[in-house]
Amino acid sequence: MKRKVVSVMLSAVMAATLAVGCGSSSNDSSSGSSADSSTDSSASTETSADSSADTTAAADADTAATVNSYAGEINFMHFSTSEEVAGKNGGADAFRTAIAQWEEANPDITLKQDILANDDYKTQIATKAAADDLPDVFLLQGMNTISWSNQGLILDLSEYITGSPYASAYNMDYLVPFTTGGKYYAFPALTGGTCCVVIYDSQMWSDIGYDAFPTTWADVEAAAAAFASSDQYADVDTIAFGNGGQWQMNSDFISCLAYQYTGTDWYADIIAGGGNSKFTDDAFVAALTETQRLFKDTSIFNSNFNSVTNEDAREYFIAGDAAAFIGGNWDWSYIYDNLKTNDPDKFANMKVAVLPKVADGTYTDNFQNIGLGYGVAISSKVASDPDKLAACVDLAQYLTGPAFATYVGANYALGGFCSADVDLSAFDQQTVDFYNFSYVDNKGCEIYDSYVDGSVWSVLNTEMQEMTNGSKDPATVAADTQAAYEAYLAG
Amino acid sequence: MLQSIKPKRSVIFAYLIVPVVLFVFTVFVPLVAALIYSFTNWKGGPTKTFNGIQNYIDLFHDNVFWLSFGNNIFLVVACIIGQIGIAFILVMLINSKLVKLKGIHRTFGFFPSTISALCVGFIWSMIYDQRRGLINWALVQLGKYSSAKNAPIWLDNSAAPIMLILAIPLIWQYIGYYMVIILSAVSSIDTEVLESAEIDGASGFKRARYVVLPLIRNTLLVCMTLCIAGNMKAFDNIYAMTEGGPGYDSMVMALYGYKVSFEQSNLGYGSTISVGIFVLSLAVIGGSQFLLNYFMVDKYDRAEAKAKKIQDKQARAAYKARMAEMKGRG
Repeated sequence: MKRKVVSVMLSAVMAATLAVGCGSSSNDSSSGSSADSSTDSSASTETSADSSADTTAAADADTAATVNSYAGEINFMHFSTSEEVAGKNGGADAFRTAIAQWEEANPDITLKQDILANDDYKTQIATKAAADDLPDVFLLQGMNTISWSNQGLILDLSEYITGSPYASAYNMDYLVPFTTGGKYYAFPALTGGTCCVVIYDSQMWSDIGYDAFPTTWADVEAAAAAFASSDQYADVDTIAFGNGGQWQMNSDFISCLAYQYTGTDWYADIIAGGGNSKFTDDAFVAALTETQRLFKDTSIFNSNFNSVTNEDAREYFIAGDAAAFIGGNWDWSYIYDNLKTNDPDKFANMKVAVLPKVADGTYTDNFQNIGLGYGVAISSKVASDPDKLAACVDLAQYLTGPAFATYVGANYALGGFCSADVDLSAFDQQTVDFYNFSYVDNKGCEIYDSYVDGSVWSVLNTEMQEMTNGSKDPATVAADTQAAYEAYLAG
Repeated sequence: MLQSIKPKRSVIFAYLIVPVVLFVFTVFVPLVAALIYSFTNWKGGPTKTFNGIQNYIDLFHDNVFWLSFGNNIFLVVACIIGQIGIAFILVMLINSKLVKLKGIHRTFGFFPSTISALCVGFIWSMIYDQRRGLINWALVQLGKYSSAKNAPIWLDNSAAPIMLILAIPLIWQYIGYYMVIILSAVSSIDTEVLESAEIDGASGFKRARYVVLPLIRNTLLVCMTLCIAGNMKAFDNIYAMTEGGPGYDSMVMALYGYKVSFEQSNLGYGSTISVGIFVLSLAVIGGSQFLLNYFMVDKYDRAEAKAKKIQDKQARAAYKARMAEMKGRG
C-alpha cells in the first residue's frame, strides 16, 4: 500500500515537472519586457485613461492615437526588442514609442506583444504561418507576401492604405514588396535604410592622394596598389567586407552593383515573374563576373571576406585595419556610434560614398538599394470580428503614420513609409551626409531579397560564396539560380 | 516479500505512464508527422499537397544531400579515431602508476563535453580567426608569417580541408566523455588479471592490446555506437563556425535539412531530408554494429567457434552414417 502511494506521488511529481517545463518554455518565447508592459497596461487602466485624455488634448491632432471601441486582446508579434533600442536602432525606438502611445490611448485593449530578436522572429513567424497560427498583427517580410496571400493567411489591406487619413503623405514606392495582384497586404513599417553604402576614413584616403572616395572600381584598384606601396598603410586592406553569413554578398553588394548592368526594369520583371528577365541574361552574368573579379582577382578586399561576418569586417574598419567598409545602414549606425564614443578623431573623418562604377556597365545612375523590408500585416482570421479589425487597422496605421515618422526623423534622421518634415540642423555632419545619401542624392533601387523567395536566394548566396572563392564560374551560378527561380515560379 | 520483487501492474503502469506519454509526444508523434509531411509539397502555410514519392526521387538526385552525407561519414570516421582512440590512450596513461592526481585529470578531461556545442563552435571560430585568432597569433609570433593578414584563413577551405578543421573541435569536445566511460570499464577489470600479465612480462602496450582491449570490448562497442549516432546528427558546431560554407563544402545532413526547411521554407522536402537522415543513420549504425561485432570478436573465440562448427559437422556426419548403416541393416 505504502509503495502505491509513493509511486502515485512520484508520478504526480513527474507530471508536475512536465507541466512546469511546458509553462517555462512558453514564457521563453515571449520576452520579459512584453509581459511587463502588458501587465502594466491592464493594471493601470484608470490612470492611463486619464493620461491618454491629456495626451490627445495636448498632442497635434495629426499624430494623436485614436481611441477604438473594441475591448479585448490583440496579439502582436514584432522584433523591436529593448536591446535594439539600447543599440541605438532608431526604427525600433520609434516603433516601441508609437506602440506605447497607442496602448495608452486604448486602455480597453490589451496588446499582447511577443517580441523576439530578428533572427528568432523570422523562424518563429514562418513556423506560425506553417501552422496557420499567425498572430492578429505582425510584421510581414516582403518576400513572403505572394505565398502567404495565396494561402489566404493575410488580409488585403488596400482599402485601409488608400483610405488612410495619412495616405497623402505615404511614399507609395515602398509598397512594392507588399503588393501582389494589384493589392496591398501590409503597411511598410520601421525605417527605410540603405543596404549598400561605402563608409570610409577620409584621412587615410587623402594620405595616399584621394580627396574623396573613388567613383570607379578602376580607381579603387589603383588606390589598393597605392595603399600597399605606402609605408604607413602597407598592412591595411582597402575595403573590408564580410560574407561569412552568405547573405551579405547578396544584400550589401550584388543587389546594388548589378543594377549598373541590368537597370531597374530587369528586376521589376523578375519580381513580377513576367518571364522576360532571367538570371542567365548576359547583363546579370556580367554582374556576377565583375563581382568574382573584384573579390578573387584584385587585392581590394580583405582576403578572409568569406569566413568573417559583417560584424567582424566593420571592426577592421573601426580599428584602422581597413580604409573603407561596405555594408548596410545597420553597419553605419554601429560604426557611427562606436567611433563617436571611442575615437573622436576617426569619427571626424567618417564619410559615406556610393558604390563605385564598373567599367562595362550600361546604366550610370548612382544606385543604392533601399526599401522597407517589413510591413505591418493583419491575419485573415481577424476579418470575422469587425471591431477588432478596425482596432488592428488603426494600430497598423498609427505605427506607420506621422507619429512614427516625426519621432524617428527628429531623433535619428531616418525616414519611413510616411514622410514628415525633418529639421536636420540639430544633427552632426555625418548624420546629415547619411540622410542625404539615403533619401536625397542617389537613385534608390530594390533590395533583391525583399522579394521573390528564400529558396532562390539560398542558392544564389551559397554559390556566390563558391564563385568568389574560385570554385564555381558565374555562368553556372546564374544557371542554378535561374533553375531555383523557375522552380519557385512553378510553385 | 514476493510483492516487493514483483509490484502490481497498476504500480508499474503509474511509474511508466508519464515517461511513455512524454516519449510518444516528443519522439514518436513528430517522427510520424515528418514521415507524412515528407510525401507532400509543403512550402509553409496551411496548404499541403500530396505529391507521392517525388520528394524522395529529388532526394536521391540531390547532390548537396549526398555531399552532406559524405561529410557526416567523414566526421564519424574522424571522431571514432580521434575521440575513442585518444580517449583510450588517455585512459591507459591515467591508469598508469606514474600519473598523480587522477581525479583532476578526469574532471578537466570531462569538462569540455559539458559546454554547449554552440559555445564550443564560437570559441573555436575565435581560435581559428585569421586576423585575431590564437593560432595565427602564435604563427606570427614564431615568425612564420610577417603579419596575420598573410597567415592562413582556416575556416575557408584554402589552408586545409574545411571538414578536417571542423572535426578538431568536435574531437576535442568529446574526448573526455568517452574517457570517463572507458575509465569506468577499465577500473572494473580485475587487478589480478593485469598483475599476472605484468608478472608474465607483458609490456604496457601488450597489456593494453591483449588484456584490457578484449575485456572492455562491449564498452567500446557502446562508445562507437554513441559516437556514430552523435556525428550523424552533427549540427551546432558547424552552424556556429561556417554555416555549411564556403559554398556547400562543410554542409552536413542536419544543417541542410534545417536550411531547406527554414531558410527556403520548403518544409515538405525538409521533412524528406529528415526521414533520409533517420534511415541513413539507422543503416550506418546497424551496418557498423554488424562489422564491429564481427571484427571485435576475439580471434580465439572465432577459432573456437570454427572448431566447434567442424566438430558439430563431423558429429552430424557420423550420426547420419550410423543411421544409414542401421537402415541398411534393417
